[in-house]
Amino acid sequence: MATPKTLSKPRTRSGNGSKAVTLPPVTLSRAAQAGPIEDEYREKIKWQKWTWGSHCVDCYPSNCPFRVYVGKDGEVWREEQAGTYGVVEAGVPDFNPAGCQKGVSWHRLLTGKERVLKPLKRAGPRGSGQWQEVSWDQALGEIADHVIDAIQDQGPESIIRIGEPAEGGTQSLIYGSAVVNHIGGTVTDVQAEINDFSPGIYITFGKFDPAASCDDWFHTDLMLCWQINPAYTSIPWYHFIAEGRYRGAEVVVVAPDFNPTAPHADYYVPVRIGTDVALANAMSQVIIEEDLADWKFVREQTDLPLLVRLDNQRFLRGSDVDGGRDDQFYWFDEKTQQVVEAPRGTLALGKRKPALEGVFKAKLANGKTVKVTTAFAMLKDLLNRDYTPEKAEAICGTSPDIIRNIARKAAKKRTRMLMGWNSGKYYHGDLMERSMMLILALTGNWGKKGTGARSWAVGMFDGQFFAPNKPAPGQEITAQAMAGRDAMYKALLAEDPTMTEEIIGHEMSYRGAAMGGTVPPAFFWYYHCGYKEIWNKKTWGDVGMKRTFDQYFEEALDKGWFTGTVQPAATQEPRMIFEVGSNLLRRTRGGQNMLLKNLWPKLSCIVSIDWRMSTTGLWSDYVLPAAHHYEKPNFCYSTPHIMHLTFSDRAVPPRGESKEEFEIAVELSRKIEERAKARKFVEYTDAHGQPRRLDDMVNRMTLNGYYKNSDKVLDEMVRDSVVMGNLPEGTTLDTMREEGYVRFTGWGMSPMAIGQASDIKEDETHAPFRWHTEKKMPFPTLTRRAQFYIDHDWFLEAGEQFPVHKDTPAQGGDYPFHLTSGHPRWSIHSMNMTNRIILNTHRGHPFCYINTTDAEQRGLKDDEEVELYNDMGAMKVALRVAPSVRPGQLIIYNGFEPYQFDEWHDPANVEPGMVKWLAFAGGYGHLRYRGIHWQPVPIDRAIRLDVRKIAHVGKEAV
Amino acid sequence: MAKNGASASKAAIGHKAPGQVAMVFDLNKCIGCQTCSVACKTLWTRDEGTDYQWWMTVNTLPGKGAPKDWEQMGGGYREGVPQEGTLPTRQEFGGGWDFNYDEVFYQGKGNTVHLQPVGPKPTWGPNWDEDQGAGEYPNAYYFYMPRLCNHCTRPSCVEACPRGSMYKRPEDGIVLRDEDNCRGLQFCAEACPYKKIYFNYIKKVSQHCIMCFPRLEQGVAPACARQCPGRLVFVGHLDDVDRPIHKLVYDYEVALPLHPEYGTEANIFYVPPMSPYRLKEDGSLDMETPRIPMEYLERLFGPRVHKAMNTLQGEMKKVRAGGKSELLDMLIVYRWHTLFEPFTRDPVEVGGPQAVKSGR
Repeated sequence: MATPKTLSKPRTRSGNGSKAVTLPPVTLSRAAQAGPIEDEYREKIKWQKWTWGSHCVDCYPSNCPFRVYVGKDGEVWREEQAGTYGVVEAGVPDFNPAGCQKGVSWHRLLTGKERVLKPLKRAGPRGSGQWQEVSWDQALGEIADHVIDAIQDQGPESIIRIGEPAEGGTQSLIYGSAVVNHIGGTVTDVQAEINDFSPGIYITFGKFDPAASCDDWFHTDLMLCWQINPAYTSIPWYHFIAEGRYRGAEVVVVAPDFNPTAPHADYYVPVRIGTDVALANAMSQVIIEEDLADWKFVREQTDLPLLVRLDNQRFLRGSDVDGGRDDQFYWFDEKTQQVVEAPRGTLALGKRKPALEGVFKAKLANGKTVKVTTAFAMLKDLLNRDYTPEKAEAICGTSPDIIRNIARKAAKKRTRMLMGWNSGKYYHGDLMERSMMLILALTGNWGKKGTGARSWAVGMFDGQFFAPNKPAPGQEITAQAMAGRDAMYKALLAEDPTMTEEIIGHEMSYRGAAMGGTVPPAFFWYYHCGYKEIWNKKTWGDVGMKRTFDQYFEEALDKGWFTGTVQPAATQEPRMIFEVGSNLLRRTRGGQNMLLKNLWPKLSCIVSIDWRMSTTGLWSDYVLPAAHHYEKPNFCYSTPHIMHLTFSDRAVPPRGESKEEFEIAVELSRKIEERAKARKFVEYTDAHGQPRRLDDMVNRMTLNGYYKNSDKVLDEMVRDSVVMGNLPEGTTLDTMREEGYVRFTGWGMSPMAIGQASDIKEDETHAPFRWHTEKKMPFPTLTRRAQFYIDHDWFLEAGEQFPVHKDTPAQGGDYPFHLTSGHPRWSIHSMNMTNRIILNTHRGHPFCYINTTDAEQRGLKDDEEVELYNDMGAMKVALRVAPSVRPGQLIIYNGFEPYQFDEWHDPANVEPGMVKWLAFAGGYGHLRYRGIHWQPVPIDRAIRLDVRKIAHVGKEAV
Repeated sequence: MAKNGASASKAAIGHKAPGQVAMVFDLNKCIGCQTCSVACKTLWTRDEGTDYQWWMTVNTLPGKGAPKDWEQMGGGYREGVPQEGTLPTRQEFGGGWDFNYDEVFYQGKGNTVHLQPVGPKPTWGPNWDEDQGAGEYPNAYYFYMPRLCNHCTRPSCVEACPRGSMYKRPEDGIVLRDEDNCRGLQFCAEACPYKKIYFNYIKKVSQHCIMCFPRLEQGVAPACARQCPGRLVFVGHLDDVDRPIHKLVYDYEVALPLHPEYGTEANIFYVPPMSPYRLKEDGSLDMETPRIPMEYLERLFGPRVHKAMNTLQGEMKKVRAGGKSELLDMLIVYRWHTLFEPFTRDPVEVGGPQAVKSGR
């Protein structure tokens, strides 16, 4: 790289005569000349008042406590991290100061030109950018009529709130959906909309949400950053990794590219795109081969000692042995040399020593005897056959030397699989995650500090969901509801006394799913958005499928695996969409290609409620201005990653005509109520047979006027959360205003929180799954153990009973490059991407990374705009040429607004939005739908495409 | 406020001022997130004329940085003799872009227009070569380099100003400019070898990082340091022998100035970056050859970088074998506020209408 050598030929500034200036050294007294200018600068740090602020957005885990300073002119001047986090665990670094570059420039979004300040109504064709400013009264009145029209025409399910994390924070989360919920509309499941699911973690544990507190990262001795790029995505908490490294941890980055986390790693492990299973399985092969496994852990925590029938590849079950339970499984006890029941209510081995290998005989209820072996023995054979490091290298391209090296370390050290939500976005991401979990299982790496996997979890602010829907104010009501829940628990426990509180919680979610609530959007996409055709393209899906996509799809429906959640129905045309602070047309895989073509024509009204203009806003019929984060009281999502409820206050009143989401929900309710009464249409029945009323909406929304404003709502949420066991006694909105945040004291009722399965300790980091390892509580899977063998019909048919490597399908067609992505450094989704300050921290336009050699071979230059294309579509983007990118890889980090691209064609334009067929499997233990969990999720990694020069395209087009 | 500076009424250029405020950036913790640079921007360069000014920048190295190719622009001293310098052009700084929001949102043009900078197509900016680096896959290498004014002990900018508008404060060694006396001749910017001086096109004066002196004076750490989520910026008095800065610079010698050969005696120091092992041709681990070539680090930090890297790597080895390391414990920074001692006051306590109780 260039550094100044001798400045042999320096450029000089013309006309100022500057040649080697040699002035005598000057020594200046400060008093002589400093005063006025120093005072001017001193004046610049003055402000008038401050409030607590945070950026209640789905950046996850967020919760950075800030102070928002209001300047002398009454406008928000700037924000700065409060730095008020206390010490949690002695000997562990604290969380301060948190924050990131987006957070410290958030105030620029308040006054930026992307801010929407008046209700807008479309005045030209959709997407034309022709608007008419209208009054709230007019906008809401017209929207209310559209709502009633849609209910009358297609039923309430035709009114869809795309279930997204939205702008984030309590107000948009709760009140973004409140109206649609009340009228019996469709709210789609956030997990599939955004796809931050971890399907392989879910398949393994029956829950996908292990989420250690970030300070627990400090306890890790081997940090495997795998399918994650925390240098971009965990800016506030990355320091725990760096600090852990200085404590003695080794950091490993596994990725196709030398990603921005890799420079600070000790080992960079390159892997071919989409081949992580081969790498992980080879590590497992080494651990078994070299006898490095924690065998006691394997016996106790996993299904690997369970017996599998050799005649049909299925677990030996109670229904086979004695006509008993279908979910009773068996071990071969080495001590008694007998086939014995593996207990369902505990992981404790007791006096048993389950065999890990061997072929045994089991007597069936029908008198026959069958040969059985252990799942472990089958796994070992598989690994030895297909996944020696040498065989794996041929698939994943990683040297056997590295595979062995890292595997041995993982076996010896407190190892954490620090994962993002990248793997789940691969077609076979479930297999990747299962193979990664297998390493943790073999090495005894969960349920203790510094170990485990990582996904996400919310919960712990139970009042947030309870308070808006309670029948009347006050905490007595809350206590009664708690008692009601306890009674339900007892009833379920009576059905099966081996269930833990966690398992009962999940069971209630499974049963509730069919009765209303969010629905998996896969069916909406399939029936109404044009995906049926895409998903049936044979070469874009799993080429090993034995039947067509549609055959599996139909079977899933026929078997009732999704009964009650197919909404809107195939025969019910969507009519309205409510977008609240989110950006459907950016985020949906397939994007404008699919939605504008297939969905938009069916919609009578598209409403975008947002504080800024998004691409979806530009394609909407109405854009309603919401209050910005510093203009309303709000709470951030609560998560075990941080363990705090964090408050963000109203620093200034809403600008222009913008309103808080609570107020918008109440005002829209009032309009719907008015119009319903005027049109004499006040009651109807929804698809679940539940009667709905439109003439009591305001009272329901406000608890008969008790919720006068958002302060009252938030206060009730906090008080309820105290009663529900999340927050310390005495916590109120007032105390939150005083302190800014409060540490959670209990998991409360949310299954996702209880699924952390560890006690919350005031003075310790949180490491999930300690109840499983310390208290031997069973996992919420079919086998009640971490489950690596799945004997569901479809999994057997797919050959995926164990995690195996399968090539990523050629999604988009047979093209040489693989497009990958990831959350960007520069924005939380698209929210900050158009912030002028942030745009100035990169090139001010979207870009696509390409390897230096690839670019050279194609004669492409840095910052040259090129066309990316495949059978799905095309888009233009400027290149960033870098040697850190894997040859054959293209990377476009997500979050750019489509309207930052030529013709607004963004990467979604070349993404088909495939879903893996196997994700429609159901009717099997934990493989059943419940909100935010098991369901088909869209794929956008490793899309195939090619790059061409734009000049070339021009010629062809002419 | 300054530990030993109160008595000194004059600061002799060329000798470490007593009470000199210095910073150490630990590059092994820097993830290039730009929080420091944005924190600075929203505090100091928000007025007209400062749009393109980034007193704090973070660039990917190896790279051309900001302004483009600044390391080729001369200035500073060689063996005590001032070196010819070049004035960076506005284009070489780049940035300061505004965008056509209204055109995209409201002018009825639909998707025939997209969001882009107003005016000529940018070709450089404050962080143009982000994440590009050098090397060859899979042995690419890069790291992040935060840069601000070095508040040098021998500031060539001060010496170059023909109007004597620049000065080094006696109490803390911060280099400032009397903007009232400045006529925008920009000799300072030409002479600065680090090219961290900007020109305010509205006020027609040069401007640069003031090390947040209005905060420091009241015991609050500079915004870039206090707001850094990576917890990698130490602030303190260079002569405070009990605190990390002195220890890292003088005792352990792991914190080095950037380009010491520029001869200005910078007071911003860096802990040089370690890097993951290289891979051999066959993909196996090469544990002998550093991924970031030592010659490159030497070009940045001078020959002392070898010793610094050896010390760091030796201590890393020690803790991985279960030992203790005072140095690494210092770099861990168990308690955030200790990064800034004695400048640990909460900013909410200063600048407000009255004393405001700290939240916690």
